[in-house]
Amino acid sequence: MDTEIYTPLRLDEIDSALQRELKEKIDIDIETCLECGKCSGGCSNGHIFDYTPRKIVQLVKLGDEETLAGMDALWICLSCQLCLDRCPSGIDIPRILDYLREKAVTRGVKASRPDVHLFMELMLEEARDKGRVSEVPLMIRFKRKTGQYLKDAGLGFKMFLKGKLSPFPSRMQKPEGLKKLLSERKSEKKD
Amino acid sequence: MDIAYFPGCSLHAMALEYDRSARLVCKRLGINLVEVEDWNCCGATAAHSLDHELALGLNARNLSIVNRMDHGAVTTPCAGCFSRLKTAVHELAQSGNLTRRMEERLDTNLSRLPKVTHLLQLLMEARGPRGLAQPVVKPLKGLKLAAYYGCLLTRPHRIVQFDDPEQPSSMDKLLQALGAETVTWSHKAECCGGSFAASEPGIVIDLGGQVLEAACRAGAEAVVVACPMCQVNLDSRQDEIKKERGDVHSLPVLYFTQLMGLAYGYSPRELGLRRLLVSPVSLLKEKGFF
Amino acid sequence: MDDRVKKVLVIGGGPAGMEAALKIGQAGFRAVLVEREPDLGGTLRKLVSSFPRWENPADLVGVKVQMLEGNRNIERLTSTAVLTAERFERGFRVTLKHLNNGGSREIRADAVILATGFDLMDASVYGEYGYGIYPNVINSLEFEDRLRGWKEGAESIPKGIAFFKCVGSRDRSKGFPYCSKICCMYTAKQAGLVKDLFPGAKVYVFYMDYRAAGKGYEEFVRDVIEKKHVRYVRGRPAKVLPEKGRLLVRAEDTLMGIPVEVVVDTVVLASAVVPRADTRALAKMLGALTDEYGFIEPLPYTAVRSGERVFFAGGCGFACETQGALQQGAAAAAEVIAFFNKS
Repeated sequence: MDTEIYTPLRLDEIDSALQRELKEKIDIDIETCLECGKCSGGCSNGHIFDYTPRKIVQLVKLGDEETLAGMDALWICLSCQLCLDRCPSGIDIPRILDYLREKAVTRGVKASRPDVHLFMELMLEEARDKGRVSEVPLMIRFKRKTGQYLKDAGLGFKMFLKGKLSPFPSRMQKPEGLKKLLSERKSEKKD
Repeated sequence: MDIAYFPGCSLHAMALEYDRSARLVCKRLGINLVEVEDWNCCGATAAHSLDHELALGLNARNLSIVNRMDHGAVTTPCAGCFSRLKTAVHELAQSGNLTRRMEERLDTNLSRLPKVTHLLQLLMEARGPRGLAQPVVKPLKGLKLAAYYGCLLTRPHRIVQFDDPEQPSSMDKLLQALGAETVTWSHKAECCGGSFAASEPGIVIDLGGQVLEAACRAGAEAVVVACPMCQVNLDSRQDEIKKERGDVHSLPVLYFTQLMGLAYGYSPRELGLRRLLVSPVSLLKEKGFF
Repeated sequence: MDDRVKKVLVIGGGPAGMEAALKIGQAGFRAVLVEREPDLGGTLRKLVSSFPRWENPADLVGVKVQMLEGNRNIERLTSTAVLTAERFERGFRVTLKHLNNGGSREIRADAVILATGFDLMDASVYGEYGYGIYPNVINSLEFEDRLRGWKEGAESIPKGIAFFKCVGSRDRSKGFPYCSKICCMYTAKQAGLVKDLFPGAKVYVFYMDYRAAGKGYEEFVRDVIEKKHVRYVRGRPAKVLPEKGRLLVRAEDTLMGIPVEVVVDTVVLASAVVPRADTRALAKMLGALTDEYGFIEPLPYTAVRSGERVFFAGGCGFACETQGALQQGAAAAAEVIAFFNKS
């Protein structure tokens, strides 16, 4: 374990704005947290998180938005729902992370795992352009943007042999209705 | 019976065999799957992770199309799509404001929301083990299977309200109705690594590896899944998993509808068995299924 | 004034019921003590030791039974249950049923004391722990049987045991929001006993807090931790997995914030305390108040009175330890005696 020099946290100087924000915007009251750690104990990726689910809730209580926006756990949470399902107070941690992640991205905070972020954005672009997402076009775009052409090449070849990589991606017939929904998203973000 | 069918993006691409086998067995069971007209992607992990309103909007649109179909209910074979559609219904039902906003955006009425089921759930509810056993011509005797539910099929319980999230049994009962034996094992509802297959394969090797190890330890000869993500994750990286973890032998990973089709007498080709990367063919031949 | 000696029906022969019947008999009134098991003692019969003094509960039961037997005002009816009860004139008319020979008998009572005790909730709703699926995941009451077996010299020496506290308690999601009060103490007792019997065994208690609010309680728990070397780990376990014939427990050590695992032979679940199954029906028949969980509720500004001529004591009112049951039994008896002396 690393030793760091800590400046003691002045609890009386912390504001609970973030906690209130979560209550108002997404109706989650983290005051109900019993600090039992059952979320962390069963977290699928908890062993590689820099902050376990319980710690994440504690960070909200401490109003540490900076750490939350920059942490690695934000980008490798699987959204498997095991924490929420086991929490005795029913705190929706996956939803908290979704909210914090969306906020961080809007504010331009760089993702701790740029590839993960990129993949998600590309997937949404595919969905916008064609209404549906197909592996081949998505993977081609991902590989182009990351420059990792050889990664998983062997797997890709195997899949091709099995006929799993369809050269004819499935598309919507009338993607216009969807484009309206998606363009509104972009314009709202610009405001 | 007629029901709206939401295949999801994977079933038109990588998981074609899931779609094919699902349609075959449903037809045999007298369930007419009517594909949702011009459906759009459910957004999967990407949408809810980056834009919650979009995630809701994408599925509100799908739900509004189902509403126009007059079936009152929609079923989907993908656990991811199931989770997104079900969550959308839940969120809309909880908030009048949200509903109104979506209604304006999509120019539709969302006061009535269709019932959303996963295909496994639909089959168990509409036909039950007895009904599902009826068309069996080749009982799956001698097959020891690990029914793998993954994380989203039953969670979060308060939204999904299907089966038990920690000790689920519906797929086990279905497979038993087909004549197979299912094993008791520890990872039936743990996560396989979800949508990180492309961006962080190390996670899939880790979590998927744990699942496969647990299935091997329990003596399973094959793993049965109800989600295209789970299938691809567990099927496509077994060599890497063996290299990293060593304690696993090759386990075919099949869709539950493929096993149903096998029991109902369909051919391996019709069921797309050869499309699976870890081939189930030799195992099934050895057990005398063809 | 009514010259007939007043009679009280006490339902339940655990420490609360025994104490109540005893005080009533000693005060010169009649008591009918009804117990569905073949012997008196209630849950105390199942326990191998007690907190905070490590005494044998059988001794206490023996003393009380002897005093009950020595008092001619008290009628003890074991293997007997209450079938029906209804208000009649200025009291109750009750049908009792003998559970062995099936015979029934009607009695009149001027007052009733409910002392039906508690049970542990069914932990199978916690699928993540595998109760009901893995044979070595058991609840605390079931574990007392194992303790007794080990004390009497049975084989299968455990190499490792994990105790989970708060299974179903302090849980708004799948269990009950309340704290079951006694589990921190009896778990410390059970863990300490294992270490006494098998000093080489690895014993863990997974906790969120430990609540030791009583005379001698804190010292008792510290003794278990410091002298008997039971390892307390702060974190509610997330899952139990089978591991090569044993059980793997996954949790977070919340004090360090790191994931931890232990492999043990037995997992003991301190499941939430709930009222016994028949309590609600009995309460309804007798006109006693109950809360949303089925525990008997006192009337405002009283402690042990739940209705007209209906009183209660012990676990049926809420989780309580032996001392509390005895105290409440005596209190209920005092209320009845005061009531009788007034009328």
